[in-house]
Amino acid sequence: MIELSPQDWTAVALSLRIAVVATLVSLPFGIAIATLLARRNFWGKTLVDAIIYLPLVLPPVVTGYLLLITLGRHAPVGAFLADHFGIVFAFRWTGAVISCGVMAFPLMVRAIRLSIEAIDRRLEDAAATLGAGPFWNFATVTLPLALPGIIAGAMLAFARALGEFGATITFVSNIPGETQTISAAIYTLTQVPGGDSAALSLVVVAVVISLAALVASEWLARRATARLHGA
Amino acid sequence: MFVRLLAVLGLFVALAAAPQPAAAQQSLTIFAAASLKNALDDVDAAFRKATGVKVVASYEASSALAKQIEQGAPADVFISADLAWMDYASAHKLIKPDTRYNLLGNRLVLIAPKDSNLDHVVIAKGFDIAKLAGDGRIAVADVKAVPAGRYAKAALEKLGTWATAEPKLAQAENVRATLAFVARNETPLGIVYATDAKIEPKVKIVGEFPDDAYPPVTYPVAETSASKNAAAARYLAFLRTGVAKAVFEKYGFSYLIKPVS
Amino acid sequence: MLVVDVEKTLGEFALHAAFEAAGGATALFGPSGAGKTSLINMVAGLLRPDRGRIVLDGETLFDAAKRIDVPAWRRRIGCVFQEGRLFPHLSVRHNLDYGRWMGGHDADPAAFAHVVELLDIGALLDRRPGKLSGGERQRVAVGRALLMRPRLLLLDEPLASLDEARKADILPYLERLRDEAKVPMIYVSHDAAEVKRIASRVVRLDGGKVTAAGGAELLAV
Repeated sequence: MIELSPQDWTAVALSLRIAVVATLVSLPFGIAIATLLARRNFWGKTLVDAIIYLPLVLPPVVTGYLLLITLGRHAPVGAFLADHFGIVFAFRWTGAVISCGVMAFPLMVRAIRLSIEAIDRRLEDAAATLGAGPFWNFATVTLPLALPGIIAGAMLAFARALGEFGATITFVSNIPGETQTISAAIYTLTQVPGGDSAALSLVVVAVVISLAALVASEWLARRATARLHGA
Repeated sequence: MFVRLLAVLGLFVALAAAPQPAAAQQSLTIFAAASLKNALDDVDAAFRKATGVKVVASYEASSALAKQIEQGAPADVFISADLAWMDYASAHKLIKPDTRYNLLGNRLVLIAPKDSNLDHVVIAKGFDIAKLAGDGRIAVADVKAVPAGRYAKAALEKLGTWATAEPKLAQAENVRATLAFVARNETPLGIVYATDAKIEPKVKIVGEFPDDAYPPVTYPVAETSASKNAAAARYLAFLRTGVAKAVFEKYGFSYLIKPVS
Repeated sequence: MLVVDVEKTLGEFALHAAFEAAGGATALFGPSGAGKTSLINMVAGLLRPDRGRIVLDGETLFDAAKRIDVPAWRRRIGCVFQEGRLFPHLSVRHNLDYGRWMGGHDADPAAFAHVVELLDIGALLDRRPGKLSGGERQRVAVGRALLMRPRLLLLDEPLASLDEARKADILPYLERLRDEAKVPMIYVSHDAAEVKRIASRVVRLDGGKVTAAGGAELLAV
């Protein structure tokens, strides 16, 4: 029923790998930024807010193009990284991690921020009176209570990263085994005569994985919430 | 609960850290014009059988590929569908000039969906493609940059039918996307290479563009200047063998050089 | 010995209060809206006064002129809040241990057992706050504040959210607390009957100002 070539399965494995790495790498930043936005007021906050959410509203290709002109091999930041550290993102799977991560980041920040804002600050006050400094207060009170939101944010980001196409194909194009994700593979197959059945098979795989991710997210978040309130 | 979360996290990290398959064996990266896909896949399989080197091929419009190589894409070999983009690559020092040679030729044809009423269209001066398309559009590759689109525009201009045709064009990002438009009956007509029409059972050739209407379709090959892959030279040599020639001709390409073996 | 002399403007409301509290239980007594909670929060370090000083046992916790403001987590002042504010994701035992853990002190099973016995919360230790009644929660909250070894205990209307029967249950525990724990207490309430049982010294607060300070006779008015 599902007829996929080794190249197609490579695309699936690559997509999973990219999405996992993108999510893991963004998570600390996502938590930090979400906490900052939820808890502090500072000059320029609205601007930071807008920039974080920009990938949500910009056309994905635009985001990909912006990445290309900053992180490309001959672009300012990209050239610096390549020449001094040997780090190249353009047309590498690491570049795909960046484009997928960037596109998924706003979703992650939004979910985490909402859950942090929902935390009763009086609990943090109580922790402070009990001797918890800012770091321990965050680690032992804020973070655990924000866990359902963090899980939801991470899974949402994972699902988004898995399906990312526009920014990725613009920044790192479509090289089998390196940057050809599920979406890119499906796109390529639509241009192959007789490729429709393989394209459909990949679509099925993509839907299954996304559904599984969303269900897992729901379940984990619910368990975390139940555990929080004394299960 | 935290133990379980840690386990899930660990699973994720393991997934991410797992070594990528096929990293160990030697491989070669080819950037080739979209129209070469089926033929070159067969050639690449033969090459792998002969040498053990795995070929990773990226097929897109020659214009897109040239720009990507310019941006630092890790291609070892570039095969373009026209001379202009190989000249571009050469001018930007993206290829090793002494490895360049012209490998294949092709022809431009007019296609229609398999079940179309159209058949045996005579393409000569006075040919009115817009009228032929009726209410529908004419699928072509992007006429500004993609070789197949440029050839098509040149032909239509030479035949004096460009002015009426231009507003009715449906431009696609490469010649295979163009082919797909017609195969899916999205447009009643399309202009692609003869080799593309040959591999798509859902379209039929309804006319051939006369040779003098467009510059000869030529596929130059070259090794990229950034390539440090020893297999690249072997690959370029393999393309000149009788084995490769047989495959290309089977798909309908004209083979421009004398094979060396 | 606590010395407080602070000013703060909160919107339309102006708070300007000065009082002292020595050992034993001192009540901060006044009607709702008098500013009692704000005053207590300033002592705890949860609210920053606009002007003034707060000194505890000779250590300056706050001095606007000298720009001193010791953060709440360094003041070692235990707080019991009206809503308890137990950590929902931790068991009762871990809630109780929280202050000791944050202070980096070694475990003291004797002190732990003593407080548990004092407040009669032994049966609740492995439960989560979500599964406790209001009265049980407040007792745990008191225990939690005690076990951090505070130099001062602030209780802000700890019984206000309980019904009369619960209050009657818990008051004896608070009296025991006052008698047995060697920590000075400041007890905030608007309920004269409660205050009468707990405190011997009374500071009256009304409209943001200290109107009187003295003994229990001040409650009669």
